[in-house]
Amino acid sequence: MTQLPFRNRAAHAFQREVGRLAALFWVLPIAFIMRVLMGYHIKDAALVRTRYRALLKESDHPLLICPNHLTMMDSAVIAWALGGSWWYLFHYSRIPWNLPEYNNFASQWPTRVGAWLTKCIPVIRGGRREDVSRVIKRVQHLLSRGETAMIFPEAGRSRSGRVEADAAAHAVGRILTSVPGCQPLCVYLRGDRQQTWSTVPARGDSFYVDFEVVEPQSDHSGMRRSRDFSQQIVDRLVGMEEEYFARR
Amino acid sequence: MTRDEIFAKVIEIVKPFVKNQDALTAVNDDTNILEDLKVNSARLVDIILNFEDEFDIEVEDDDADAVNTVGDAVALIEEKLS
Repeated sequence: MTQLPFRNRAAHAFQREVGRLAALFWVLPIAFIMRVLMGYHIKDAALVRTRYRALLKESDHPLLICPNHLTMMDSAVIAWALGGSWWYLFHYSRIPWNLPEYNNFASQWPTRVGAWLTKCIPVIRGGRREDVSRVIKRVQHLLSRGETAMIFPEAGRSRSGRVEADAAAHAVGRILTSVPGCQPLCVYLRGDRQQTWSTVPARGDSFYVDFEVVEPQSDHSGMRRSRDFSQQIVDRLVGMEEEYFARR
Repeated sequence: MTRDEIFAKVIEIVKPFVKNQDALTAVNDDTNILEDLKVNSARLVDIILNFEDEFDIEVEDDDADAVNTVGDAVALIEEKLS
């Protein structure tokens, strides 16, 4: 893994520290919006958070959160579900860095500022390989410092409403194979009223959350190894989805 | 293997992934695989893995970042074969 230039490392440190100083003014309001204004509810939230914190205590490996993707609020809901807003104020580094689509979140300056403050690194999905690579290198750097990041292995929101096994994004495997010890955490999130993909979950929705650390394996090296890792992550999400529907 | 032979094989491998088939008629070293041939970026990985199989080479992710044009692909393969 090549080291990120000093300028980029400094920019990340600055972004993180400004976000930390302002955390009270964005972490709690986002949780307030989700919980009070949107009426969202996490099923067994206490249990989910206890499990997540136990996982973090057990291992100090860099954590790459790999969830299924149905709405544009998934990353916020997942972060809230796993950590809880107050907990993040005291464990700021555990708020995952996100990779939102540039055109959704960063094409205009107010949302760009908001994305910057909330630990986002916008990426143009399907953009030039060099640009995507620069973003991947930033995530590799953050993970190697022990921070947490979140990336959607299907790259975009599933248009079928189900995890799409043939949509594995190569970037996930690339990150996992390049950051020593990096653990992928597969997360399955679904609101009871979420039939298919949408912009935001339905008001008052109640979310099922499950997660599992996966250990991808491959006999290959190079890009083939990265591809195998990406595919195994998506395959596990398919399995978690099957378990969800079997329990309903 | 000559450069022309590599070029021809590269085109053969890329062809099934090309959405803009008209651009193939005028393809040259400067043809951008994503922008001119309209290949889906996710499919670029499959193309490079096909290069690995066809030319019996191994390409690292960082090497693949440099592949934007057909000429870049040919140069990468030449370098790996040498």
